[in-house]
Amino acid sequence: MKALSKGKLTEVLDKLSSQQEVFVPLQKGEQSGYFSWADYQPDRDELMLEALNVYQSPKNVVLPQTERMYGIISQGMEAKIDQTFEDSHPTVIFGARGCDVKGILAMDEVFLTRGFVDSFYQARRANNTIIANACYAPGPNCFCPAMEVDPVDPAGADVIIRDCGDYYAWEALTAKGEAVTAQLEGLLEDRDVKLPSAQPFEMQVDYQGVAEKLKDMFDHPLWDKMAEPCINCGMCTYVCPSCYCFDIQVKMFGEKGYRFRAWDSCMFEEYTREAGGGNPRGASKERFRQRFLHKLEFFQERYGTPLCTGCGRCIIVCPTDVNIARIIKAVKEAEVE
Amino acid sequence: MKEITEKIQTIAARLFEEGKIDVFIAWEKGERDYQVKAYVARSKEDVKNIVFNEYAIYNVANMLLKFRDGHERIGIAVKGCDSRGIVRLLEDLQIKRERLYIVGIPCPGLKDPLAAARNYGGFRKQAEPEGLAKKCLDCIQPNPVIYDDIIGPEQSPRQQGERFARVKELEQMTPDQRYDFWEKTLSTCIRCYACRQVCVACDCRTCIFDEMKPQWVGRENSTTDNMMYHLVKHAHMAGRCIECGECERVCPVNIPLMLLNQKLIKDVGTFFDGPEAGLKYVEGNKPPLSVYRIDDPDSFL
Repeated sequence: MKALSKGKLTEVLDKLSSQQEVFVPLQKGEQSGYFSWADYQPDRDELMLEALNVYQSPKNVVLPQTERMYGIISQGMEAKIDQTFEDSHPTVIFGARGCDVKGILAMDEVFLTRGFVDSFYQARRANNTIIANACYAPGPNCFCPAMEVDPVDPAGADVIIRDCGDYYAWEALTAKGEAVTAQLEGLLEDRDVKLPSAQPFEMQVDYQGVAEKLKDMFDHPLWDKMAEPCINCGMCTYVCPSCYCFDIQVKMFGEKGYRFRAWDSCMFEEYTREAGGGNPRGASKERFRQRFLHKLEFFQERYGTPLCTGCGRCIIVCPTDVNIARIIKAVKEAEVE
Repeated sequence: MKEITEKIQTIAARLFEEGKIDVFIAWEKGERDYQVKAYVARSKEDVKNIVFNEYAIYNVANMLLKFRDGHERIGIAVKGCDSRGIVRLLEDLQIKRERLYIVGIPCPGLKDPLAAARNYGGFRKQAEPEGLAKKCLDCIQPNPVIYDDIIGPEQSPRQQGERFARVKELEQMTPDQRYDFWEKTLSTCIRCYACRQVCVACDCRTCIFDEMKPQWVGRENSTTDNMMYHLVKHAHMAGRCIECGECERVCPVNIPLMLLNQKLIKDVGTFFDGPEAGLKYVEGNKPPLSVYRIDDPDSFL
């Protein structure tokens, strides 16, 4: 089997980086997320392939937090589009965990299927290769198997690497995967590999039947109790590998300007505010409920899979200990009339 | 701490029994031992869930905003910093004093549950030493400044050394150096607005950043829009920030937000008389930047 010696990791990333933009998990000063290897500074940044994960998921590679869509020139009552900013430069996500790959697969459903194709997303995704890092040692807040993720054999990866101590076993699974493998000729070696054994999960989550049960729980008192401490910041939605909601707005500077889209969050009051001033989700609880119904019920109904990937990020960062695993459990245990 | 918990529970139970309150706001234990969060007890039976322990750091005064439009009579347990938050809400007429029964807790200094969660989460290669939270090491007011009942003996301020040392370092920089520092620091913001949402002094009903007509601050995650957000937010806190440090504590990208707040605390202290924000409640008093007087100096206009 092909293998990547850890001693050659830098060389491999440099090589890949010479042909496309490579995003790797980094602790970059105070930040922790997926950043371009081209900006890597050894004295400041630390490669986090051996940590469980990083705080900001790789979703920004295929859905940047802010992206320009097209430029506008206004001429009286008319407006002209002078350029579009569709971005199709080739990218590689190197080292994504199964949960984060699942997040991108969920976005594929939203942006590429059911008769709706988002050309900006499509342009990036078509030229994006995912090298997944199989996960053998889940963390205390992980529950990806309950969310249909196989951490050891993640679906959606073009290449899977497996940490075997001083080398990674390297397995190309798709044509894109073969293509990046070919770029590394001479840097990968053939060897017998000894795969690690998977550690058990500390947290057990049972999602069976939750989506169906939630259909009758829109007005359940559980939401009042669960939402009480929530302060409706957007932290959970922005660190989430699968939250994809966005807003499209315009910036004009005199007669020239551009239209852009930026991540938005169902946690914000402004998100559902209507032009006339009304707001169907004006109350904190209503926004809180929406987030979890979208993840656990609506997405499941539409696409046949939950929109949570079990990565545990929101559980770690939430300043008020909102815990999606506990919500799933509470729904399971709730009495419904 | 166990003793404090018991005392809060006893007082809360008594208040429910005597029919003096409808809710009691304090803390409860979360999923794991280090996760402690705001809690609203609604009956005498709920009181057993109340805890005060080394992780009860969350500023519960913020919870009062959820009740500002109601008529509930509210019991609330507060530390020094939380109590300053209550003074701010009273000054801003967000809640009436007679609706509150305040149980003060002289605070021994606490740990940060988020730091513990991050250590425990596996997203770090090495755990960071877990001592008192940074905001507690900077604390000048561990004792409640307003209360109806107080639990335990007074604590001494923990702030050591020169209070605004880091602010003074920044003041020594050239404008270009300072701009570089803030540009770099604020460019990492992900605009989750947790710093605003957790802030008890941010009590505006509609925040300027949520205004759409006109939209004062752009929604792009760019250095320009990020700086606009932070500078406007923090400037708005001049004379209002109670230095509870929650904004900096909850920031998911570790932006040193208290540097901005401390700079403003220092400047307001230099240019205006009177106690710092939320240190003393006098009915009718307003923070310096909420007051206009005809003889205010305006030579700069």
